[in-house]
Amino acid sequence: MSRPHTLDTADLLPRRRRDWLFALGVTIVSTVVVLAIVGPYVGPYDPTMTTPNVSMPPPSLSEIPGLFGAWVSGSLEAPPHWMGTDASGFDVFSRVIAAPRTDLVIALVANGLSLLVGVFLGLIAGYYRNAATELMMRVSDVMQSFPVFISAMVLVALAGRSTTNIVIALAFVYTPIYVRLTRAEVMSQKVRGFVEAARALGNTELSIAIRHVLPNSLTPALIQASVTIGFAILLTAGLSFVGAGVRPPTPEWGLMISTGANQIILGEWWPSVFPGIAISLTVFGFAVLGNALERRYDAS
Amino acid sequence: MHREAAAVSERPEARAARAVLSVENLVVGYPVAGRMVKPVDGLSFRVHEREVVGLIGDAGSGKSTAALALLGLARAPGKILGGRVDFEGRDLLKLPDAEIRAIRGRDIGIIVQNPRSSLNPMLRVGKQIGYAYQAHNEANAATARRKAVEMLRMVGINDPESRAEAYAHELSGGMAQRALIAMALSSRPKLLIADEPTSGLDVTIQAQFLDEMWNTVQRTGSAILLITQELGTLANYCDRVLVLHEGRIVEDAPVKQFFADPQHPYSQQILKLQRERGTSLGLPPIYTGTKPLLATRDLRKTFAVRHTKKLIQAVDKVSLQIGRGETLGLVGESGSGKTTVGRCLLRLLEPSAGSVVFDGADLVKLPPTDMRRYRSKLQIVFQDPFDSLNPRWTIRQILTEPLDLHTELSTSEKRRRAEELIDLVDLDRTLLERKPRGLGAGALQRINIARALACNPEFIVLDEPTSVLSPRARVGLIELLVRLQKELGISYLFISHDLTTVRYLCHKVSVMYLGQIVETGTVEQVFSRPRHPYSQALLSAHLFPDPSNRRVDQSIPAALEGEIPSPIDLPHGCYLASRCPHVVDECRATPQRLEPVGEGQEVRCWRAAKGDIQAFGGVHG
Amino acid sequence: MLFRYIAKRFAVGLLQLIGLTIAVFFLIRLLPADPVSRLVGMNASPEAYAQAAKQLGVDRPLLAQLATYLGFQPDIAPGLLQGSLGVSWVTGSTITSEIATYLPVTIELVTLSFILALAVAVPIGMFGALNPGGKADKGVFVYSLFAGSQPEFWWGLLFVYLFFFTLGIAPAPLGRLSPMSSPPDAVTGFMTIDALIAGQLDIFVEALHHLMLPVITMAFILSGPIIKMVRQNMARALQSDFVLYANCAGLPKERVARYALRAAMAPSMTLIGILYGFMLSGAVLTESVFALGGIGQYSISAVLAYDYPAIQAVVLVITAISLVVYLALDLIHAAIDPRIAF
Repeated sequence: MSRPHTLDTADLLPRRRRDWLFALGVTIVSTVVVLAIVGPYVGPYDPTMTTPNVSMPPPSLSEIPGLFGAWVSGSLEAPPHWMGTDASGFDVFSRVIAAPRTDLVIALVANGLSLLVGVFLGLIAGYYRNAATELMMRVSDVMQSFPVFISAMVLVALAGRSTTNIVIALAFVYTPIYVRLTRAEVMSQKVRGFVEAARALGNTELSIAIRHVLPNSLTPALIQASVTIGFAILLTAGLSFVGAGVRPPTPEWGLMISTGANQIILGEWWPSVFPGIAISLTVFGFAVLGNALERRYDAS
Repeated sequence: MHREAAAVSERPEARAARAVLSVENLVVGYPVAGRMVKPVDGLSFRVHEREVVGLIGDAGSGKSTAALALLGLARAPGKILGGRVDFEGRDLLKLPDAEIRAIRGRDIGIIVQNPRSSLNPMLRVGKQIGYAYQAHNEANAATARRKAVEMLRMVGINDPESRAEAYAHELSGGMAQRALIAMALSSRPKLLIADEPTSGLDVTIQAQFLDEMWNTVQRTGSAILLITQELGTLANYCDRVLVLHEGRIVEDAPVKQFFADPQHPYSQQILKLQRERGTSLGLPPIYTGTKPLLATRDLRKTFAVRHTKKLIQAVDKVSLQIGRGETLGLVGESGSGKTTVGRCLLRLLEPSAGSVVFDGADLVKLPPTDMRRYRSKLQIVFQDPFDSLNPRWTIRQILTEPLDLHTELSTSEKRRRAEELIDLVDLDRTLLERKPRGLGAGALQRINIARALACNPEFIVLDEPTSVLSPRARVGLIELLVRLQKELGISYLFISHDLTTVRYLCHKVSVMYLGQIVETGTVEQVFSRPRHPYSQALLSAHLFPDPSNRRVDQSIPAALEGEIPSPIDLPHGCYLASRCPHVVDECRATPQRLEPVGEGQEVRCWRAAKGDIQAFGGVHG
Repeated sequence: MLFRYIAKRFAVGLLQLIGLTIAVFFLIRLLPADPVSRLVGMNASPEAYAQAAKQLGVDRPLLAQLATYLGFQPDIAPGLLQGSLGVSWVTGSTITSEIATYLPVTIELVTLSFILALAVAVPIGMFGALNPGGKADKGVFVYSLFAGSQPEFWWGLLFVYLFFFTLGIAPAPLGRLSPMSSPPDAVTGFMTIDALIAGQLDIFVEALHHLMLPVITMAFILSGPIIKMVRQNMARALQSDFVLYANCAGLPKERVARYALRAAMAPSMTLIGILYGFMLSGAVLTESVFALGGIGQYSISAVLAYDYPAIQAVVLVITAISLVVYLALDLIHAAIDPRIAF
């Protein structure tokens, strides 16, 4: 006998003190979201403008409290460079907190798009099994076997390095995943007892598909989405790193790491390390969130 | 086949028999949201040498948890919290790992509910049995294999040499269960724990299996602790009965005494119908009017097998009639087509041929929009109560869905109707705001019934509604169904493999085999004087809860051999010909038709109609 | 039975590759980039432009170009049917020879990373599953989530800073060998194997030394999902009915552990295949950081230079290898688990 797999909103609240991991994930993700909204405005410097201080290292740990006090009391002429500046003179800190907007917007829009298209196609492919849907699945398979990074790179580089194109490239890469996930879930939900019961009550097939099957088939896709958003950020950063992503001087973590890479050998670590820490924590936060949702889903 | 005589507990020497197993105050718990839930809470009982002790109780978890705990095991996240399990003078719960592993399998064997998932799916069956044997006996691979084949033969598997090479997923349920027994008994344990070993098996296979288990155990001299939800199993195989309720044993009595005079209120609840109705067969006949409410003629349903050109004739020329306020039982084993008939009546499956006339209209000929309107009058309740309800909807939404579809009631009127419905099935109104999650099977099934009643149907198909319920929930549901029929005048088609429940609920009954109706009549006629060889076999295989007539104490006449054949490639003549003890050449040559044998009883067997076959093997009144 | 399945997979794979090739062919030509002007420069004269266009073959209609590419017009130029991947628009050499140089680098990198990752991650994952809920298990779990979500290019740089710049135990990220050493004759294309074949043990060690950091970087990233998967599968196997029953039958601990292990490894195979295919493409980033000159870097330069034949060839080759790897791992999976039938 099968127990139903569901995930209600009641499940999303963290339970018990031991779920610190989930709380951590939520904290990280909310911070990034907040930065995406206000980041470009709250930094001490304009993230797209250079300063005359080139390659300045960040203050050492012992200096920070004093510097902070001086800054708050207003006795400094210019705000300190908390994370130093890079070889072009950009303030690293301002750019690090301005970058989430670029990365998150791309990741969210791309995922939203592929989720919408993917779920819609997956619902159709799962519900009707005929030549047309089989063909669609073969096409989706082919799309999925494209080497991810290289295809994204090709799409963006050849269409032009704009945010829109990055979004389209990512959506292209991620849609087959959602199609496959949704289709599998629809196929297994379609034969559930309550679907047959709905038919016996006199529902039309369309009504069954929308009111009964669809809401119960979304969970795997949604759980995947929270993880894929993180991967989309990684992908955007990677693309920018190799020069096939956003254009300078847009603040973007991957781009910052790439421009800072040349300095690493010379020992100037700060232009690359700080943005790296930022990505590292952000994607980790999304992964934790996705995993927590997955665990709740498995447990129910 | 003859069996050992009287129950162990009645033999004079039993008084002095030693206790093989002695359990004292066993406690098993698992943490849920910070608390500790204890399905086993102070369990104490004994099992003596060569005794067959039955353990009955509510929904699965308590009993199986207890069974595992006897071996010192607990499924994660459960833990054994206390108590003593004394086996041959040693407390199993305090033994170090190596020692208790030696006892498991060698001195105490166990077989469990889901045999196929309990076998290693990646190893051949013979090899696994061999490993189990090697764990407790000095043997090399060749000896182990020989032993495995020997055990498979002993538990009644034909062609054990090749069966030993099979993988778990290639075996049928019955075979897999026998493989487990072979493994469990391979080292001749002193005690066999059988945890609901026949759940999911067909009636005739159940009987075969339990008979064989019983015989094998007589040969190995083991005692059995038989855990079950079926009163029939208790009555026919056990010497003594233990009742598990709320984590402890509330009654411990010899089997005849238990059925005759149960002491504890919980036992009385389980035995309620048994004691009220006693040996009466079926409900008293009612006047149903001259025209039947629902009648099918020559209903047929064929399925195509994927990737081949073969066809399965699931339902073959079935004609039924059900009057107003009447209950027709439809019984049979797997492959009989009874479930398919139920679905065809409602056009959840499209019949391949035939008519379904309801209140004058042939449903099969209706266009989809008209058919949808009729759906308020014909409803169905499915077997799995959990799966039939949308897990994301509240109970209120579930109950008002049919009202949205078929009525023009206002929101407040719908609210009131939902409350009426939930009252009608004896459930609390607070459930309306909840979702199905967390509710028990009995409650969920009542909700399914309430939903079916929403638009005042005239006819309800009940597809094995009680088969997954515990004994107490089963009693409650049957009483509810009878009461609703009396109050509302609804007709039922009651599909089941459980003849005991059919007996409590139905006026008439039809027996199906491989898509055909082989016998039809009132419950009294068919159950006490079955004419068709298949009905006879079914009834004699069915374990009625009557300890004075134990199966193991009698010789069983006219048993059917073999397993149910595949519904593809059905023979030209009688479908039962390959298994029937009364078969002659003419049976194989001519297709059989239903013929009346007096007073409304019909049989599909020319020999029975002629009177060649004695009517016997049924339930004696 | 088995043969038919493999043949069927090959046939389907071939169709997929053809579909892929055609799709990529059209896709990149639909994009607004102009490879001709990339080649001749922005200020070329119309004649020079036309000349270059003719040379590249882009003045012909699209379908004709596709036909030639596929090999249906061998007198104009060899195509796929003849086994030719075309000629690079940038360097002029046959792409097949270029890929033969660059591809083994990536395969060497990815394969070595996988070996290291599996050797480390599988025992850790099993350890976590065998001690569920304990502190070690929790740590293992958090580590797996963390490692799997890291940007490998950044970690590569970190490792360079740490091990090269600070500690000096790793070589400079300037390629597969130091600029002063000469590589052995290319037999297989795998630096390590070729060095062994040529008997140059010092080159062998140096190649490994240079591979050290990139392999560690990739193995680190790979360890995340592998640990997560092994741990999950092992935990599931340990809680399964048949493991419970094996304990009920009194089987010795080692036997039960082997039951669980086999049940855990079977479903893991498919994921390993998918990861491998994913990494072949993702190796790009690590290759750039360490200047290894693998197919990833080749593809970057091809993309930035709008070298269409090279781009197509890279996509084709990597996908083909991925499909072969998937097939191989699915076969291993079926070998372990008899429930998978063909």
